[in-house]
Amino acid sequence: MRPLDWVVLLGTLGFIVTYGVWKTRGSKDIEGYLKGDNSMKWWTIGLSIMATQASAITFLSTPGQAYEDGMRFVQFYFGLPIAMVIISITVIPIFYRLKVYTAYEFLENRFDLKTRSLAAFLFLVQRGLAAGITIYAPAIILSTMLGWSLTITNLLIGVLVIIYTMSGGTKAVSVTQKQQMAVMMGGMIIAGFMVVSYLPDNVGFGDAVAVAGKMGKMNVVDFSWDWETSWDDRYNFWSGITGGLFLALSYFGTDQSQVARYLGGKSIAESRLGLLFNGLLKIPMQFLILFIGVMVFVFYQFNQPPVFFNEAAKSKVYATAYADELRGLETKYSSIFEQKQEAVQGLVTALKTEDEAAINAAATQVSSYTEAGKEVRDQVKGVIQKAVPGSETRDTDYVFISFVMKYLPVGLVGLLLAVIFSAAMSSTASELNALASTTVIDIYKRSVKQDGSPVHYLKASKLFTVAWGGIAIIFATYASLLDNLIQAVNIIGSIFYGTILGIFLVAFYFKRIKGNAVFFAAILAEAVVLYCYYFTDIAFLWFNVIGCAAVVLFGFILEGLIGKKKKELVA
Amino acid sequence: MKNHNPADEEILIGKPPFFKRWAGMYWLVLGNLAFLIILFYIITKLYE
Repeated sequence: MRPLDWVVLLGTLGFIVTYGVWKTRGSKDIEGYLKGDNSMKWWTIGLSIMATQASAITFLSTPGQAYEDGMRFVQFYFGLPIAMVIISITVIPIFYRLKVYTAYEFLENRFDLKTRSLAAFLFLVQRGLAAGITIYAPAIILSTMLGWSLTITNLLIGVLVIIYTMSGGTKAVSVTQKQQMAVMMGGMIIAGFMVVSYLPDNVGFGDAVAVAGKMGKMNVVDFSWDWETSWDDRYNFWSGITGGLFLALSYFGTDQSQVARYLGGKSIAESRLGLLFNGLLKIPMQFLILFIGVMVFVFYQFNQPPVFFNEAAKSKVYATAYADELRGLETKYSSIFEQKQEAVQGLVTALKTEDEAAINAAATQVSSYTEAGKEVRDQVKGVIQKAVPGSETRDTDYVFISFVMKYLPVGLVGLLLAVIFSAAMSSTASELNALASTTVIDIYKRSVKQDGSPVHYLKASKLFTVAWGGIAIIFATYASLLDNLIQAVNIIGSIFYGTILGIFLVAFYFKRIKGNAVFFAAILAEAVVLYCYYFTDIAFLWFNVIGCAAVVLFGFILEGLIGKKKKELVA
Repeated sequence: MKNHNPADEEILIGKPPFFKRWAGMYWLVLGNLAFLIILFYIITKLYE
């Protein structure tokens, strides 16, 4: 990092934090603090919703995923626009009519206190863990790449977020997310232009896309379905449109970190438009980020990529007895790349001639070199495992940041780092804000102290924002001590989301089912999801569908049994 | 909870921009999704 990069990075982050604090100073009560005085316009809500969902991992991992696996991840978002329409029609008017602060407040109105508390508790556990990971996941990558201390990186992200979230509440979160989205999208578009401009002179944009296609990276949509294998295929059209729909319904309809974004709207119309704005733009945004990853892949067909993108992990191996083995593999990798260069140029030439036989022959040759390179990369991962037991051998998260640090000019490196920090901060801010709202409204105000003044609850909200921020930083700092933590948190999320959605679905659409039935149905549904997790190979996206369907089914059965018992008692 | 007439609700909520009814906005979002899926399918087939 050179001085100009520091100026751009710190200037961008400093401006956003200062602007957020200044613009939202002086919240006098809990209404203003947790609902932003219901003053937000649709574009603020829409950008805020998008910024909340786009965490730093979106910008670090997604291009790397496209580099490795192509464009097909975009199918994961196909259910999202449908969910936006459903929530706009059904959920928003009800939340507005009841004037709720949190989604879980509605559950007491519809069922009873225990169901509200159960849903709030599940949210606090799941989101409390996720807030730590939202800080930790980018911090571990950034600290590795920049050579910073992990604790300092965690503190930098966490403390900046706490300052403006504590100061201005929901309004500060939404106002800063507008700036953060501008930085994120601006930075990514510039990075996309830069990577295309770095391609050789004889390779135009069309040639680059054609090369990517011949190497299997333009696999955007897959309609095929195999009853035996497609269930555990995470990204195809069918899992995206059904599992993705249920996941988006759960996330945007029942997760307070998103619900708070549209509850702060000036009117139902503004909130609806904000959600529909997200429904229109989310897929193109993900497509763009994935496409940048594919262009980085094409760039590395003409420029030698590192044999392993996490340079820090490689450096650790150089300090062990395995250094020579690693150097040998690197030499072998370079030699394969040199031979592959000719084949790739042959493919570009063949594509220009439009001779199908020549294109297929060249593509086959390139594929064989790619496979040979992949074998060497696997061997390198094996050496890293032997030399530094327990180290992470998945390096896709480092692909994009490694490209940024190595190839982008001075100033742009700072901007792209600002993109990643902004993304981490925008998601964390929404999470802390939602955790504080749920703790104060659903637990503290409802069950601990019911007779406090508005100022008292305002102070409590600020205190809980700082407390949850502190917990998230501590969790992020010690996260590396736990194995497979990120995976564990993702699993926890997918295990609970379906059940929470099921409770809300029953609340909205199945009025016959009452509090006791839905409460025990939720517990039984959780058992079914846990069974699927432990004893089947079903991909986690389907847990959202299964959990939700199980709550509805058990709800009907239990309501029938409870109703029958009541009739018997009356008789 | 009370049942609300969708027409009454439209009056209460107000008109969306560009369309006379909210259904127009919903069809815009769903139409955009259909368009993107078809576009992505064409891209997939064109470059495979």
